[in-house]
Amino acid sequence: MALLAPLNLIDSLLLKFFSEQTVNYVIWPFIQIGAVVTITALWVAYATYLERKISAFIQARLGPMRVGPWGLLQPIADGLKLLVKEDFIPENADRWVFFVAPYIAVVAAFIVMAVVPFGPDWAVITDVNIGVLFVLAVSSVGVLALILAGWSSNSKYALLGALRSSAQMVSYEVSMGLAIIGALMFARTLSLSGIVASQQSDSIWFFVYQPIGFIIFLISGIAENNRAPFDLAEAESELVAGFHTEYSGFRWSLFFMAEYAAMVVVTAVATTLYLGGWYFPFVYRFTEAKGFHNAYVVVSLIVFLAKAGLLLYLYFWLRWTLPRFRYDQLMDLGWKWLLPASLINIVVTAIAVVVLQGLNESGIHTIDSIAGGLNLTPSGKVIAILFGFGNLLLSAVILSLINWRSRDFNLKKQRRQIRLVDLPKGRAAVKPVSEEPELSKV
Amino acid sequence: MPLVSVPKLTFAQKLKRFFMIDLLKGLGVTLKFNVGALTDKDAVAGKGIYTEQYPKVRPDVAPRFHGAPRLNMDPETHETLCIACNLCALACPEDCIDVIPMDVEVVVAGKPRRKKVLDEFIFDTSRCMFCALCQEACPTYCLELTQDFELATYSRAGFVWNREMLEQGRETVKYEA
Repeated sequence: MALLAPLNLIDSLLLKFFSEQTVNYVIWPFIQIGAVVTITALWVAYATYLERKISAFIQARLGPMRVGPWGLLQPIADGLKLLVKEDFIPENADRWVFFVAPYIAVVAAFIVMAVVPFGPDWAVITDVNIGVLFVLAVSSVGVLALILAGWSSNSKYALLGALRSSAQMVSYEVSMGLAIIGALMFARTLSLSGIVASQQSDSIWFFVYQPIGFIIFLISGIAENNRAPFDLAEAESELVAGFHTEYSGFRWSLFFMAEYAAMVVVTAVATTLYLGGWYFPFVYRFTEAKGFHNAYVVVSLIVFLAKAGLLLYLYFWLRWTLPRFRYDQLMDLGWKWLLPASLINIVVTAIAVVVLQGLNESGIHTIDSIAGGLNLTPSGKVIAILFGFGNLLLSAVILSLINWRSRDFNLKKQRRQIRLVDLPKGRAAVKPVSEEPELSKV
Repeated sequence: MPLVSVPKLTFAQKLKRFFMIDLLKGLGVTLKFNVGALTDKDAVAGKGIYTEQYPKVRPDVAPRFHGAPRLNMDPETHETLCIACNLCALACPEDCIDVIPMDVEVVVAGKPRRKKVLDEFIFDTSRCMFCALCQEACPTYCLELTQDFELATYSRAGFVWNREMLEQGRETVKYEA
């Protein structure tokens, strides 16, 4: 790759001024961080453009067309507009908290990028050995920002939005965290780069072992990001704009950036865990094996971005297809469907791993090695895939059994049932209302 | 107490609901439109883009559309075709046309004669209902309702068109395509 030759030049130039340790552990990470933050900020700007274009196409419209060719400069015009808008602070707002909340949201969303493996070698900022835990922990700090924003605004809409979003995010965090465990049983590591490496050495995407885990992770991820159809936190038709009702100008755009950055995080983690990250068949054989190291990194980077892009399209696609859930339906889905499903997934995956080990010990060769993730032989892969898709059926049966007698929230029906308690048969549940009860007393 | 009775779902309906068939159908519909918008720009088969880039691209109006009035002129002599016969003003159900004639001295076969010609033509577009009865009444094909539709002005007085406006047409901003 002639394009990447300057990289080595910069490296040798830096080594003249600094020690090797400083260059490797301070300067290069700073360059990587700069690149990632810049690209993510640009992505956030152009995600708004993409969202508007895709929504327009879905509705047989054109979308932004005026600023630049096909409206390509629209995000820049929007950004300028937001920068020069008045920074409005409502009366009686908790000023300090009001100022800090958007920054917490942005930082929580952006800091996760530090551990996301965008590619092999130099395309990852840092490889933390508890990467998955780090992602879950930091991204849930975003909830705090929403609560603080809603509380400090001194507005009923903002407060209601914040209450809803905190309840929603807390309940979907559970099933999200549990859904990951199935994939981790195959990867046997919490490092995100390690998870990709284990998929590469097994030459398979965990999606096929964990179809239900992938689905649960995606749904919970969308709910975590407060995106439609789970956008109850900012439900326009009920709460004006939810937790950021009182925000304007640049502070509002920070929330917007946080939302889109959080989307990138969820898609990146989903790609890493279930879609093989930057691993794609044959890429290694045609680049790294022939000595083109930088080409290998760049192609892997493109593969990763393509996979994450597909999942991001799913976000837009769902948003412009589905109407918003009602609040009780949201809680139903989270607690009655996704949580049991993720628990079933854990149990079935554990059984699958135990069965694979047992078969291996009893003579059928199923496990190649267990060092870098659970490397299975072809027969072991078939068994694992069978368990994965059998799990779909099993979960369907168990979930329908769990929810067999569950009903939608119906206040009228509940009231009637409360009245019917302890009433002898044959008597009307409700006393017929006499015509003029007040007059008869007189 | 009357309760809303919800009909019990059949097993097939339950299965359909469990596997979210309707959701997938909806996703299919939106995907179809998205792909259609990218592949087919001419709104064929109801899946392309319907938006018109209006000020840049002039929209096609219906062939029988009646818009701004115009007084046609003789293409060779550039004199008005109007003979001030007042038939259009008589035909107008809204009474929005005023034809103001004047007499001019002309010499016909050596004898001085007086001829009635058009002096001023007032057309009130704010009252016009674009029925084109005036156009049908005109014996010389002078008055015509064109397909121009940009009639908005900043004041009520701007709706009243005089002879010059009717002959030249109004000035509108043209955008590059």
